[in-house]
Amino acid sequence: MVETVVFVIFGLAALFGAITMVWARNPVYSAMGLMMTMFSIAVFYVSNSAHFIAVVQVIVYAGAVMTLFLFVIMLIGVDKEEDRTENLPIQRPLALVLILSFGAAVVVAGRLAWTTGIRNPLDPVNGTVEAIGDELFKRWVLPFEITGLLLIVAAAGAIALAFFKDDDDAEVDPWR
Amino acid sequence: MNLDFLAIAPTVIIVTAVVLLLMVDVTFQMTHRWWGIAAALGFVGATTASVWQWIEHRGDDGELFFSDMLAVDGFSSFAGMLVFPIAGLGLMAGWQLVRGVGRRGAEFVALSLIAASGAHLMAASANLIMLFIALEVFSISLYVLAGFTRKGEGADEAALKYFLLGSLASAVFLYGIALIFAATGTTSMYGAKAFLDSTLILRPGILLAGIALLLVGLGFKVSAAPFHVWAPDVYQGSPGGVTGFLAAGAKIAGFAAMARVLVVPLGSYIDDWAPAIAVMAASSVIIGTLFAIAQTDLKRMLAYSSVAHAGFIMTALVAGPAGIGDMWFYVSTYAFQVVGAFAIAAVVSGALTGRSPLSDYAGLSGRSPLLAAAMGLFMLSMAGIPLTSGFIGKAAVFRAAIDADYLWLVILGLVAAVGGLFFYLRLIVVMYMQPEAEDAAHPQVRLGTRFAVGVAAVVTIVVGFVPWPLLDWVKDAIPL
Repeated sequence: MVETVVFVIFGLAALFGAITMVWARNPVYSAMGLMMTMFSIAVFYVSNSAHFIAVVQVIVYAGAVMTLFLFVIMLIGVDKEEDRTENLPIQRPLALVLILSFGAAVVVAGRLAWTTGIRNPLDPVNGTVEAIGDELFKRWVLPFEITGLLLIVAAAGAIALAFFKDDDDAEVDPWR
Repeated sequence: MNLDFLAIAPTVIIVTAVVLLLMVDVTFQMTHRWWGIAAALGFVGATTASVWQWIEHRGDDGELFFSDMLAVDGFSSFAGMLVFPIAGLGLMAGWQLVRGVGRRGAEFVALSLIAASGAHLMAASANLIMLFIALEVFSISLYVLAGFTRKGEGADEAALKYFLLGSLASAVFLYGIALIFAATGTTSMYGAKAFLDSTLILRPGILLAGIALLLVGLGFKVSAAPFHVWAPDVYQGSPGGVTGFLAAGAKIAGFAAMARVLVVPLGSYIDDWAPAIAVMAASSVIIGTLFAIAQTDLKRMLAYSSVAHAGFIMTALVAGPAGIGDMWFYVSTYAFQVVGAFAIAAVVSGALTGRSPLSDYAGLSGRSPLLAAAMGLFMLSMAGIPLTSGFIGKAAVFRAAIDADYLWLVILGLVAAVGGLFFYLRLIVVMYMQPEAEDAAHPQVRLGTRFAVGVAAVVTIVVGFVPWPLLDWVKDAIPL
């Protein structure tokens, strides 16, 4: 019962944050909306007893990533309002119709009973740091290492795109 | 846990090459020759390791490693033997671009290496989470490569469009993984296969929704209609030296992932996904062919033609496990054709620029007969003219579809192939029969491009005349 109440409250908060993020004209409001969604999702993690993931969600996403977003918004300028004219006038009504029909489909599908086939879905989750470290460095060690490759991509890609200058594609002397 | 160095050897070799390349370059300010040496070491080493895996594990000798994260079998080692040489050829053909971007060339080479490694891991993943990480390694490298020059009309647009739509597709794909996990209780492909083979799910709605979302995500990567809208803008806007690998690599990796996901964990649900694949294949060949006819830019035309080719390749997948060999045959021959064709486009229209209007190619036969002849060969092969590898590929995928009782799809494919002749032949007409422009430059063909185009042309002709060895090999390129 408590879980249902928590879910309804924070589910609505998450939805409200997501809509604010897309809808707000001021980028700072958008960032705040995103933050609200992330906090609400952290609450869901707690209610599923994944405490570590919840903490990571708050520290990394609601903390570090949001701070970065705000920095970028400040650098670009807070007072810039976006231009909302559409090149394709049919796009927005069409999107609205599609959202409504998708929502209707989800509601209809949610009323039916679907079998998932997992025989014992109610195993208690152990969300402690020890349990996660145990899994991460034993069973999931290869995906974990490949994620390191993603970091190289991010570093090399950021350097490559940020060091772009207009004059650097003048033919370099190959013998230097 | 089953640890084995050979299982991760291609990845380790590539990563070693990347780290060496970047560290030595930072420390000693090397020239582009060092970048070339490091890239060659990486690609040759990784190809050798893949060949070794092929010898050890092809056919029925596939094995799972790293607690079922990685499958080393004929399927993954064939993908490695294909994607690493293709990436090497693409890099050779784009070397002009590497030298044209100053010190950032080292990052370009490093990202190409990592992208190839990600493509190989996509083919080797035996776990959906692993597959997702490999897909991100591959895609994010390509997003950066697509926007590398940031010069001229459409370069930034191409990179941003690719990045935003690609992220959306990745998110959809991830949602699909979550639903498959909800339905089966595992993200391991072989675990899911064991579960689905032994369990009858009475109302499999969640599983079916998961399959649909996975198909959307992978359909985007291989640019199959109706998820193809990014392809023309990205192909046209990204610099000429990148497009070849971008086109070939995405096809190899995307179809490898699609084939393994559909055939291994979802193999018992073939009656549910095969019609969806057939519809995607049909709409891809129709849309790709019709829109390619209307294009006036070579790279845009090749983008729509790649949509049509994605449809032809999917035609083989409707046959399920029986079609995987034919899919590999088509993918491997097409990868060589498309790398060769874009290598020539990079010479004629410039490796740093995006656009490539057909008028650039007017009278190419007079300026550079060999380039025109090679381009003509690739066009004929893509159109599926007999005695080229493209013909055998089309015959193989059509046979697979007929065996699976998809005659309507084959008839549609044949009609589209005939329609495709129009725009492939139009380029040949432009090259051979139109007068060249007064100020047309004589294209400078560098050694790397010569090598890449030469290898692609030789493969296209040899496989066209003697397809049997490759047809034999792909029979062993099946997932465990």
